[in-house]
Amino acid sequence: MPRQTPQSTAAIGGHPLHAMLVPIPITCFVGTFLTDLAYWQTANMQWANISAWLLTVGLLVSVVVVIFGLIDFFGDRRIRELNAAWIHGLGNAFALILSILNAFIHSRDAYTSVVPTGLILSGIVVLILAVTSWNGGSMVFRHGVGMRPEDRT
Amino acid sequence: MIALRSILCAGMAITVTACGPAPIDHKRQIGAHPYLPDIHQYLIPPMHVPTAGKWGSAKPTVPAGLQIKALATDLKNPRSLYVLPNGDILVVETDGPPAPINRPKEFVMNLIEKQAHSNTKAGNRIVLLRDADGDGVPELRTVFLEGLHSPFGVVLVGNDLYVANTDAIVRFPYQTGQTKITAPGTTLCDLPGGPIDHHWTKSLTASPDGAKLYAGVGSNSNITENGIGAEMDRAAIWEIDRATGAHRLFATGLRNPNGLQFEPQTHALWAVVNERDELGPDLVPDYMTSVKDGAFYGWPYSYYGQHVDPRVMPQRPDLVAKAIPPDYALSSHVAPLGMVFYTGTNLPTAYRGGAFVGEHGSWDRTEYNGYRVVYVPFINGQPGGMAQDVVTGFLDGDTARGRPVGLAVDSKGGLLIADDIGNTVWRVTGASN
Repeated sequence: MPRQTPQSTAAIGGHPLHAMLVPIPITCFVGTFLTDLAYWQTANMQWANISAWLLTVGLLVSVVVVIFGLIDFFGDRRIRELNAAWIHGLGNAFALILSILNAFIHSRDAYTSVVPTGLILSGIVVLILAVTSWNGGSMVFRHGVGMRPEDRT
Repeated sequence: MIALRSILCAGMAITVTACGPAPIDHKRQIGAHPYLPDIHQYLIPPMHVPTAGKWGSAKPTVPAGLQIKALATDLKNPRSLYVLPNGDILVVETDGPPAPINRPKEFVMNLIEKQAHSNTKAGNRIVLLRDADGDGVPELRTVFLEGLHSPFGVVLVGNDLYVANTDAIVRFPYQTGQTKITAPGTTLCDLPGGPIDHHWTKSLTASPDGAKLYAGVGSNSNITENGIGAEMDRAAIWEIDRATGAHRLFATGLRNPNGLQFEPQTHALWAVVNERDELGPDLVPDYMTSVKDGAFYGWPYSYYGQHVDPRVMPQRPDLVAKAIPPDYALSSHVAPLGMVFYTGTNLPTAYRGGAFVGEHGSWDRTEYNGYRVVYVPFINGQPGGMAQDVVTGFLDGDTARGRPVGLAVDSKGGLLIADDIGNTVWRVTGASN
């Protein structure tokens, strides 16, 4: 009997890997914006350094997160039929491109590594993430992507 | 590396205009009034470093009227030179302390810079060469002084030999003709060292009367990215009282001063200075300058007088207003690390009375600049004319067979060049001598 909900292909024991790992880059990129704000207000280099590390870690983990996400996206036609999946995927692709640019901006030395370009990019990324994460939530909580309720019976 | 950079540039060209402006003719930035283009802050700064190579049977090129020969080879990172009054030549084999990684960028830069540096581990010692008959072949080569900590500057006053380690000036007893020092040194004065020790070479000289020492203490960053607190007493030339070890800041705002020398005619203190990076291929020109007591030369707040650097926050308009321009630009990113005034008679008259400058060479512009020894003619104690290339041929395409660092003049008037990639000390003399 076919499952009722779209299924995650990249999963271990029914747990989708994408959903497990995606909080790491989200946390990193939101954190980047917060430490950029802190640097802007204090000009204390430690905040800019933390931003640079957060961006780097966020981008590195994103490589894996994107791969698992794409496997899920192409692994089940029903996922590709969801508007939320397209908004989630394309929006996050844009956020990642901006974050790559932002990592290079943050590799500058001292003040202009953050103000103004880095800070603006970090802020835009957070706004994009708010939309894409909402849609990612819709995929799971409204459309049941990766859910396997029948396993409980 | 070039391929990688091209791919990155091509990829980024989709979203941004380019990887930076094209370099200008470097000669426009030599002299008292260099052309200063607009600031360009990169998305991806160019890192263009030649791979460390070997000389083999080749040697550097000199113009007609001069000849060049290796005085010593197979050294371990020779970077600075000092000639003792009896003609013995001290070769400082040295390297910087390990750099901490505070940012992802530093991790990447360390990887790239590794290929440009000699694979030879530095001796952290001083080697003595004795060529008493002046034929360019030392009769004696021996380890003179060991157990040093990233040494660079050396100066002898009377029977006191001072070595500037990266973190202290240490005094050793020396008798004329001595070929090895085993006596423990006495610290005269601590210098700013680690844990961050970005510009670690501490150049050293003594006042003509021997009462004061002068030490170059470079900045602890490119442009305050390690925080202004890390810059305490740095980017300055220290004046140290030889009797007490007390110090004061003789001049400030000098990002990385090296090659400290007293000009023989006016007895003014001179230095070559490495200026800041990542503002474009032609900003900011490195320079040589007489160093005025109490003067502020801009770093980090401004360059070439009062051109404000937007990367420094908080800014200090009060200090910018005090900043004075240096005397003579050498063009951008040439990395001058050695300087010597030539008062000998061995070289042709065209090379007498001015200064030789050792340009270690650029790493952050698409076209190499530096990688040569130039001669700057002087008139009445000031540079008087265009710098001339004297020793070239260090680069062979994208391979550096050698890189010039410290300079000295030996007792017979030969110009000595420390080459830290070639692990050689070169000696330039007149073609007929």
